Amino acid sequence: MKLDTETFRLSERGGFAKKALIAGVIGLVVTVVAWFLDSARFYHAWLTAFAFWISLSLGALFFTMLHHLTGAQWSTVIRRMSESFLAPFPYMAIFFVPIIFGMHDLYHWTHEEAIAHNPILEWKTPYLNQTFFVIRAAIYFAVWIFLSRRLYGFSKAQDEGHSPELLAKMRSTSAWGMVIFALTITFAAFDWLMSMEPMWYSTIFGVYFFSGGLLSAVCLITLTALWLRRRQVLDTAITREHYHDLGKLVFGFIIFWGYIGFSQYMLIWYANIPEETSWYLMRWEGSWKAVSLLMILGYFSIPFLITIFRATKRSLGLLGFMVVWLLLMHWVDMYWLVFPTWSGADGNAHFHWMDLSAVVGIGGIFLWAFWSRYAAGPLVPVRDPKLPQSLSHVNF
Amino acid sequence: MSASSKTETTPVVEEPLITGNQTFHTVTDVVSRIAERKTTVTWLALVGMSASLALVLLGSIGYLVWEGVGIWGLNVPVAWGWAIVNFVFWVGIGHAGTLISAILHLFRQRWRTSINRFAEAMTLFAVICALIFPAIHVGRIWVVYWMLPIPNQMEMWPQFRSPLLWDVFAVSVYFTVSLLFWYVGLIPDLATLRDRAKTKIRKLALGILSLGWRGGNRQWINYERAYLILAGLSTPLVLSVHSVVSTDFAVSMVPGWHTTIFPPYFVAGAIFSGFAMVMTLGIIVRKIFHLEDFITINHLEKMNKIMLLTGMMVGYAYACEFFVAWYSGNVYEAFTFVNRAFGPYAWAYWIMVTCNVLIPQIFWFRRFRRHVTIMFIATIFINIGMWFERFVIVMSLARDFLPSSWDYYSPTIWDILTFIGSFGLFFTLFLLFIRFVPVIAMAEVKAVLPQADPHHGEKH
Repeated sequence: MKLDTETFRLSERGGFAKKALIAGVIGLVVTVVAWFLDSARFYHAWLTAFAFWISLSLGALFFTMLHHLTGAQWSTVIRRMSESFLAPFPYMAIFFVPIIFGMHDLYHWTHEEAIAHNPILEWKTPYLNQTFFVIRAAIYFAVWIFLSRRLYGFSKAQDEGHSPELLAKMRSTSAWGMVIFALTITFAAFDWLMSMEPMWYSTIFGVYFFSGGLLSAVCLITLTALWLRRRQVLDTAITREHYHDLGKLVFGFIIFWGYIGFSQYMLIWYANIPEETSWYLMRWEGSWKAVSLLMILGYFSIPFLITIFRATKRSLGLLGFMVVWLLLMHWVDMYWLVFPTWSGADGNAHFHWMDLSAVVGIGGIFLWAFWSRYAAGPLVPVRDPKLPQSLSHVNF
Repeated sequence: MSASSKTETTPVVEEPLITGNQTFHTVTDVVSRIAERKTTVTWLALVGMSASLALVLLGSIGYLVWEGVGIWGLNVPVAWGWAIVNFVFWVGIGHAGTLISAILHLFRQRWRTSINRFAEAMTLFAVICALIFPAIHVGRIWVVYWMLPIPNQMEMWPQFRSPLLWDVFAVSVYFTVSLLFWYVGLIPDLATLRDRAKTKIRKLALGILSLGWRGGNRQWINYERAYLILAGLSTPLVLSVHSVVSTDFAVSMVPGWHTTIFPPYFVAGAIFSGFAMVMTLGIIVRKIFHLEDFITINHLEKMNKIMLLTGMMVGYAYACEFFVAWYSGNVYEAFTFVNRAFGPYAWAYWIMVTCNVLIPQIFWFRRFRRHVTIMFIATIFINIGMWFERFVIVMSLARDFLPSSWDYYSPTIWDILTFIGSFGLFFTLFLLFIRFVPVIAMAEVKAVLPQADPHHGEKH
C-alpha cells in the first residue's frame, strides 16, 4: 500500500478489499450452513452481528454530522474515513432480510397464540405487527442511505472544486439530519432489540443503543487510522495529536455509555417493579451473570481507569489495544441484548462458532464496502478549507 | 507536510470573536471601568428594588418557620408543591455557567471567554436560590443540619438510599467546585483591578483577593493547569447534579416520574434553561454597559444554536415518554400522560410544549438567531416554559392511583411570594456582582484577540 502525499490518493491499494470480500463470503457461506443446523440460533447470531455492524455505521453517521455541525477543524483528516464507513448501509439493508424471515424465532410478539392470551401484547399490535415492522425498517434504511449519500456526495463534490457553499450545505444537511437520525435510531433500537422482550420497555433504550454505537464508531476510526499508520499511510497526517483527541472521545464516550447504562439499571433496580426488573433478572442468572459483570468491568470500569490517563491516549500501542478491546465489548453488549430471549438458551450464555461466522460474514462485506469507497479517492478531503488547520493540529 | 498545489483551498474566514478593533488596553479599560466607576443612581434603584423583593423572600420564610408548611397550597396527593418545582427550576438554571466554563473549555470553544464570567456567577446565585427551597421545606428548619451525616450521640443518620440525601451531596459539591472554578478564573482579573486601584482600602482588599498574582510565566503555567483540572472535575458534575435531581422523581414508582430517560432528559433541560437565563441576563448587561463588541451577535447566535439543540433534546424526551407510556401497555402510565395533555393541568402542559419545543424552532432561521429582540423574547418564554415543565412533572401527583384522593393544587399567596422573592435574591446578588467584579474575563478575552497569536502580523 502506498500513498501519494501530493494528492492523498493511494497509488497502490494493497489487497485489503479482496481479503475482506473473501472473508465475508466465506463467513456468510459458513453462516448459511449454520442455518440448516439450528435456524433459531442462527437468527439470534445474525441479529447480534447485524446490530453490531449497523451500530458502527450509525455511529459514523453521527460522527460525520457532528463534525459538520460543530465546524471542528482537528477531525478533518479523519472525516473521509468516517464518511466511508457509511458505504455499508445499502448492504446492511440486504442483511436485514434474514431478520424478516426470522421474525417468528426472534420476536415473541409475532406469535398469534401469544397475542391471544396476552391483552398487553394485543394492545401493542398497532405498533408491533409484522407489516409495520418491515415498513419501519424500510423507512430507517431509506433515511440512513439518503443522508449518507447526500453527505458523501457533497464531500466528493468538494474534491472537485473550492466551493465554500458545500461546507454550508453539509452543515445544514447535518442539522436536520441529526433530528431524523435521532428518531430513526431510537425506533430502530426499540423495534429490533427492545421488542425482543415485548412486555419490557425503557424510554432510554434508544439512547443506550446510540451511545454504544458512537463509542464503537470512534474506536473503529481510531483502529483504522492506526492500521493505516502501520503501512506508512497518512502517518504524517494523522499525528499523535489526533490520536490524543480520539482518545479523549473514546474516554468521554465510555463514560457516556456507562452513564446511560447505569441510569437505566439504577432506576429499574430501585423501583423494583417486576415487569421491568425481569429484563435484568434474566441477565443475572446462570452464566449470564458473568456476562453482565464483564459488561460492567470490561466495558466500563477497567477501560475508564486505563483511558483516563493522558499517557494512554498518546501511546499508540495501548490506545490500539483499548479500541480493539472496546469493539469486542460492544459485540458482547449486543450479544447480551439479543441472546437471553433465545428459546434454546436454558438460562445460560453459550458461545457457538456461528456467532463468530456471522460477525465475520457481515463484517467482511462491511469492511469491503468501506475500503472500496475509502481507497478509491483521496483519503482526506483535500480541498476542505479546514484541512491545513487539521494537519497542523496541536493540543494545548 | 505542507499543503501542496493539488490540495489548495480557500481559507475559511471565521467571524471574529471580538469586534471593534480592541487592543489589550481597551479590553482592560472597558471592562474594568464597569466595576470602578462611581455607583450610579440606576444601579442603586435596581438594587433597591431587588433587595426589597429579597426581603419579601425573607419575610415569607419567616412566616413559614413560624407557621409551618401549611401556609403553602400543599394537600395530600400533592405533598411536594412549588418548593420542589422552584428547587429544580433554579438548579437547572445553575447548569449553564459550569457547562460554558468547563465543557466548552474542554471542547476548545474559544467563544465562551466573553460569557463565562457572568454565566458562572449566575450559576452560583441560582444554586443559592435553589438550596433555599428544600431547606425550608423540611418543616423543622432548626434541625436542618440533620440532612448532613454528622456523627451524633443519638446514632441517627440520614437515609443513604434516599435521593434527597444524594441531592445534598450533589448540589453542595457542585456549588463548592463551581465557586472554586469561578474564583480561580477571577484571580488574574482581580489582580488587574488591584493594579488599577486608586484608594488604599481598595488596593488592600483586591490585593488579598488576588492572592499575590503577578502574571509571571510560572504563575500562568500553574494557573492554566489548575483551570484545566477544575474544568475536568466540573464536567462530570454538570451531568451528575441534575441526574441526581432527576432521581428524586425517577426512583419512585409514581407513573410519569418513574422513567429511565429522566437523568439525561433532566440534564438537557437544565442546560436549556440555564442558557435561556444566561441569554436573558447577557442581553441586558450587554446593552446597559455597551459590551456589544465583546458579547457579539456571533456569541448570541452560537448560544441560540445550543438552545435549539437542547430544546430538541427535551422535545425528544417528551415524545419518547409519551410513546412509551402508550407502548408499555401500562394503564397508569398511559393515563398520566393523557391526563397531562388533556386533564386539569392541560393548560400548563401546553404552555410547556409551546415554550420549550415550539418557540425554540425559530432558531432554525439565521435571521432570528441574530435578532436580539426576538431572541430576548424567546429566552423569556423558555424560562417560563422550563418552570412549567417541572410544574407539570410534579403535578402528576394530583391524580394518583386512588380517584377518591384526587385533588387540585392551587398556590397560596405564600407560594407565590416565596418564588418571586427568590428572584429578588438572585437579582440582588447579580447586581452586586456586576458592581464589584469584572463581568467579562479580561485575561481570557485578551487571549482570543488576534494580537495574542504569536504569529500575529507575520507575512506568510
